[in-house]
Amino acid sequence: MLDGTARGGPVQTLNGSPARPQSSRGSSTFGRDFYEGTLAWPLWSSLAWNDIKQRYRRSVLGPFWITLSMGVLVIVLGYIYSRIFHTDIETYLPFLSLGFILWGFISTTITESCEAFRHGARIIKQIKVPYSIHILRVLWRNFIVLLHTIVIFIPVSLVFALKPNLAILLALPGLVLLCVNLAWLELVLAILSTRFRDVPLIVGTMVQVTLFATPIMWPIETLGDHRFIADVNPVYHLIDLVRAPLLGATPEALSWIVAASMAVVGWLVALALFNRVSRAIVFWL
Amino acid sequence: MAEIVVKNLSIDIPVFDVGGASIRRLFFRKAVGGQVVTEGAHIVINALKDVSFSARDGDRIGLIGSNGSGKTTLLRVLADIYPPSAGTVEVNGRVSPMFDNSLGMNEDATGWENVRMCGMLWGLTPAQIENSREDIAEFTELGDYLNMPVRIYSQGMQLRLAFAIVTVREPEILLLDESIGVGDANFFDKAYARLQGHISRSRILMVASHSDLMIRQLCNKALWLHSGTLMEFGEVDHVLDAYAKGAHAAA
Repeated sequence: MLDGTARGGPVQTLNGSPARPQSSRGSSTFGRDFYEGTLAWPLWSSLAWNDIKQRYRRSVLGPFWITLSMGVLVIVLGYIYSRIFHTDIETYLPFLSLGFILWGFISTTITESCEAFRHGARIIKQIKVPYSIHILRVLWRNFIVLLHTIVIFIPVSLVFALKPNLAILLALPGLVLLCVNLAWLELVLAILSTRFRDVPLIVGTMVQVTLFATPIMWPIETLGDHRFIADVNPVYHLIDLVRAPLLGATPEALSWIVAASMAVVGWLVALALFNRVSRAIVFWL
Repeated sequence: MAEIVVKNLSIDIPVFDVGGASIRRLFFRKAVGGQVVTEGAHIVINALKDVSFSARDGDRIGLIGSNGSGKTTLLRVLADIYPPSAGTVEVNGRVSPMFDNSLGMNEDATGWENVRMCGMLWGLTPAQIENSREDIAEFTELGDYLNMPVRIYSQGMQLRLAFAIVTVREPEILLLDESIGVGDANFFDKAYARLQGHISRSRILMVASHSDLMIRQLCNKALWLHSGTLMEFGEVDHVLDAYAKGAHAAA
């Protein structure tokens, strides 16, 4: 059903001789696409920057609106929810702010990945550029946003006198693993959303639910005996790989295992999917 | 050496949003466009059917045919955007597609910002873009407007800018879709001169156009498509005459 080209299979010459492999026209293996796409970093990084600049053009604060609105959000939520949960604002607010900042990065990347190819349709239909630039554009755009929001953590840790320890270094591999996972998920969602227009709607719903089902606003300890609710949630592990080190803790081994295996399996799935349908994507747009 | 060899090329484009026989019947009534068939669950348009031709250095081919006859589809195949559904396509040489002059243009960005952005989309390196600034400023005659947002440009000014950016590249195989035709007379002359320069630098030109005049001026060969089938390919006057007769007979 995914084969959108009606006769999308192997190429047949008219005299019926078995098709010789069709150079690479119109199709590409993901390896090549990704290699060429990565090399084109000046293109996707400036497309991403351009997207950001476009959003905040002519506003006084520019992209720092991102910082400001996230700051207001975590301060207000941090104050109110620390009262609701009867916890110390000193521990709760840093936890909440990091959780929200990372969740913002993850959720927006996922939501926007559904539009990655459709947003780039004009380009795709006119110039041969690697598909991966659209994936990298979305990832890079949201990474720029993350850089604007993560700075909030600096005043937060100063105000609440957090004492960072060596564990903080683990945040970096955690962030890399998070991005590697987001990238394959983006590719899969971009492909599926281009072919099946219900996918973005499903993803939207799931993203909304995930915010409340993941230990972002509530600490995992509140689960008590029901910890499995967090343990089976991959998003929890992805967030905690970055959040825990920044809060001075070491992430659980389970989080590393889940994130690493997800990256491997996910990329295999994404690769297989891309290689199967890359010829057809342009016809779906 | 630039070369294009197309053998038994067919392109089938699936259409997903239309379901139901009524729409199919609607399509069948129309005289224009490729043939519409159902294949499996969805409708498929045979945009090109068993097209074969070849082109080599020095060929300037005008693509003619009514709306929906497959001209743009053929250009997209040659630009490696549509993969062939059947048949083979071999293209040797760097292909420069010019289908939409405003591709990558951002209304709120300044002229120069757009030059940078579009240039990169068209495959220019930052150094090449930097080097072409003078050329672009001179061709567009936009002066200080290049530092202002494109949003305030008139249509003709936007076209000048877009055209200048697109034509910075020196192509080996230049594919043009009927996109020129706006702007004042002075600009048109200039654009035409630049295009002529561009074309003489390119080794193979393929241009889709409804203007006999343009095709006679630019091309030495013509390729006539009708409903995705190649009707005639050869010397420009011969094909244009056949097309005129054919269109007359159909009318």
